[in-house]
Amino acid sequence: MNSNQLDSIIEKLLNASESHGFDGAEVMVTSQKDFEASVFQGDIDEYSISESSGLSFRGIKDDSIGYAYTEKISDVSSELLLKEAMDNLKAIDSKDQEFIFDNKESLEYKEINQFNALYKEVTNEEKINLLKKMEKEAYAYDHRVSTVKHCIFGDGNQLLKIKNTYGIDLEERSNGFFIYFNVGVTLGDEIQSGYSIFFGNDYSAVDYKAVVHEAVDKAVNLLGAQPIKSDNYSVIIENKTFASLLKAYASIFSAEAVQKGLSLLDGKIDETIGNENLSIVDHPHLENKMASRSFDSEGVPTQVKKIVEKGQLKRFLHNLKTANKAHITSTGNAIRYSYKSSVGIAPSNFYIEAGSFDVEEMVASVDRGLYIVSLEGMHAGINPVSGDFSLAAKGFLIEQGEKVKPVNQITVSGNFLKVLQSIEMIGKDLKFGLPSGASIYGSPSIKVKALTISGN
Amino acid sequence: MVKKSILKEVLAAALSRGGDFAEIYIEDRLNKSIALISGAIEKSLSGRDYGVGIRIFSGLKSIYVYTNDSSKNNLVSLAKEAALGLETGLSGEVKELSRVDRINRHKIETYPASVLAKDKIALMKRAYDKSKDYDQLIKQVKVNYLDYDKKILIANSEGLLTEDRQVRTRLSVTSIARNNNEMQTGSDNIGGHMGFELYNEKRIDAIAIESARIAKTMLLADKCPSGKMDVVIDNGFGGVIFHEACGHGLEATSVAKGNSVYAGKIDEKIASPLVTAIDDGTIENAWGSSNIDDEGFETQKNVLIEKGILKKYMVDRLNGRRMEMKPTGSSRRQNYRYAPTSRMTNTYIDNGDSTKDEIISNTASGLFARKMGGGSVNPLTGEFNFNVMEAYIIKNGRIDKPVRGASLIGKGSEVLRNIDMVGNNLALGQGNCGSSSGSLPVNVGQPTIRVKDITVGGIKDEQ
Repeated sequence: MNSNQLDSIIEKLLNASESHGFDGAEVMVTSQKDFEASVFQGDIDEYSISESSGLSFRGIKDDSIGYAYTEKISDVSSELLLKEAMDNLKAIDSKDQEFIFDNKESLEYKEINQFNALYKEVTNEEKINLLKKMEKEAYAYDHRVSTVKHCIFGDGNQLLKIKNTYGIDLEERSNGFFIYFNVGVTLGDEIQSGYSIFFGNDYSAVDYKAVVHEAVDKAVNLLGAQPIKSDNYSVIIENKTFASLLKAYASIFSAEAVQKGLSLLDGKIDETIGNENLSIVDHPHLENKMASRSFDSEGVPTQVKKIVEKGQLKRFLHNLKTANKAHITSTGNAIRYSYKSSVGIAPSNFYIEAGSFDVEEMVASVDRGLYIVSLEGMHAGINPVSGDFSLAAKGFLIEQGEKVKPVNQITVSGNFLKVLQSIEMIGKDLKFGLPSGASIYGSPSIKVKALTISGN
Repeated sequence: MVKKSILKEVLAAALSRGGDFAEIYIEDRLNKSIALISGAIEKSLSGRDYGVGIRIFSGLKSIYVYTNDSSKNNLVSLAKEAALGLETGLSGEVKELSRVDRINRHKIETYPASVLAKDKIALMKRAYDKSKDYDQLIKQVKVNYLDYDKKILIANSEGLLTEDRQVRTRLSVTSIARNNNEMQTGSDNIGGHMGFELYNEKRIDAIAIESARIAKTMLLADKCPSGKMDVVIDNGFGGVIFHEACGHGLEATSVAKGNSVYAGKIDEKIASPLVTAIDDGTIENAWGSSNIDDEGFETQKNVLIEKGILKKYMVDRLNGRRMEMKPTGSSRRQNYRYAPTSRMTNTYIDNGDSTKDEIISNTASGLFARKMGGGSVNPLTGEFNFNVMEAYIIKNGRIDKPVRGASLIGKGSEVLRNIDMVGNNLALGQGNCGSSSGSLPVNVGQPTIRVKDITVGGIKDEQ
């Protein structure tokens, strides 16, 4: 299907919406080309290419929205799709007023380039050769490497279109790739694993040895890990690990959760929720960050804003519906994870601002504590409503300001808000974790007064 | 869905540059989901997934391509593009396709598409009311309903041509209890490879009340203490511990490349002799069942562990080549966007001899995990972690006060050896399992079991 055919299908659906009883309508289409390959023992193991697309129609009537989607775009029947959307609309009995975006105030869109034309020049052969080199490098780098479990290269090239009957007509082209490397190291009967991930859309920025070394070092450093005695410990949580904790609790900053009584930050705007040096930013305009975007999933221009400033909660993340309910304007955080889903809320590049300490200084300040490099079980071990968490952790015991031995098979528990309040030091080392949906979370390393460790 | 002659042509194109096996998978699926919160229907979504996946093997190398465009020209050209991933070789052979009709074990009485939206919504509202009316502490209730009707066709170069129709539906209730400072959630659900006959008022009421009961109990519970304890895990969804702690390590996906602690251990003792564990994709109308797997093999009842001895892995066609083992009808994928691989279906620890009462009364002190939450595992090291949704302290052989915020961690291989009592009240619970070939419906299950010495992570501050 070429671009003209697609445009005429979109036009046809929008034009038909009125006669099907809708007051307004929107069509969103994504089409993408993806590539993924993995290498195992010197040879291509899996190799995958795909071309896919999907179309979503949303129509509004009497302040409710009905959705319907299809992956069979070329012979889509506007009759069936619009009828389905109307049936779905009729099922809604929520009183919340919904919107299809009409840019009445002519808000401006910041130009964001998420497409790197140079990347096209990288051949699949080159990518596979890179993987082969990486696998080799792991075994050469450390003799304790016993398996390279995942050595994967993937990339994608996406086109997103949003067009509605109120004159919104937007298009975004993006590309990007990732490298996922996961090794196991063995010493005697003991196995430890470590992984690293590189992502972006600038192939020249790849330092493949660094990616390999990071994964191997992570695993090797944990060899000999043992549980420690159950107690309260002073804790430093490494940057990327704190970012994943922030990610697990991101929903508490969503106005949707707040309005439904599902956020522990409900009613806390302008209150102090964290240490006075803590600032949290949602920044959709950062250069070279995969979660940057000029418009959100409703077509609303995105904006840079502080969510927490010097410990004070400033605002929540909104889409059109929650903003209307709160009598403010959307913060441009509407998200649809795909054409199959409805509109929700998510941050873009969401991070804790860097502080003033070197990690070495932070470690040196701890008399007896734990340096945590991994927290697992986030999808189940955290309670976004009460803030309580209890998670499996790995890291290093700190004694008299020095990391002395690796630790595993422990759990660390606490409460997210109490963690924010008991922050003692914020590192300089802001780092971003993996993209998650349409968001990326970042944090510097953070020292917290005390958390409960359960070991032996 | 697509003519036989076209299928054959596509398979031939896939093998045009060598390759010794090619397969085509076509999926056409209608989805419906409805969400209720605060007593009102907030979302009603529906749509059609449609796509084709083509897979080529050359020895241990596999190539996978997919598209939404099933026109003959596109499929042939995509198959040729896929073949470019191979070194040049002689064209592989495609046998004459002959249709195989599998026995349909999972009869559907009422197709969800034939049920009016208002009837689905009526069930959801009933669940909402039952939960909300359970107690004043229940401040919010979410009810989610979904159904889908999925038709698949699989054809391969060995001449197989087969189809299946999979109809599934699920309803889940999450209740949120709240007082001044604290909120706790409880949830329960039912699901099956079934039509709308899955639901009746009694079943809906049961899950609504169960979710509310858990939320209220946990709201009023003390914080769970930490430390090593004997843990009694109740039947049903408690089986998630076997699923995570051991099941993933028995999937060929991990075993074939030596990335599992259970690799190379067939016929070795890996568990307590009280443990017999089974993966059975044939259970009538069960959430994790289907007539065929996603490579077209009939599903099977696979005994994985018999009285503590490892008997079998779950094997798919590709990993089977690496392991020199036969496929076990275990190859699954979320949809056409994923190449299939070995995955669990309905996995459970089989009945033992003890009663639940005996297990509790024989436990001097410990933790009773009445309802498990989610968890995850690193198959390479076997390290797992779980959240416990509803837990109680066991004191002097009796269930004492409820405690909240418990998590369990450990190594799968150790837990299997440390199971020292197995009950006789096997039950299954429904879940979704996310792994390399996407998110899949699975049942987990077990009778009540006791595990010695698990590290319990509580949230009670140590003083």
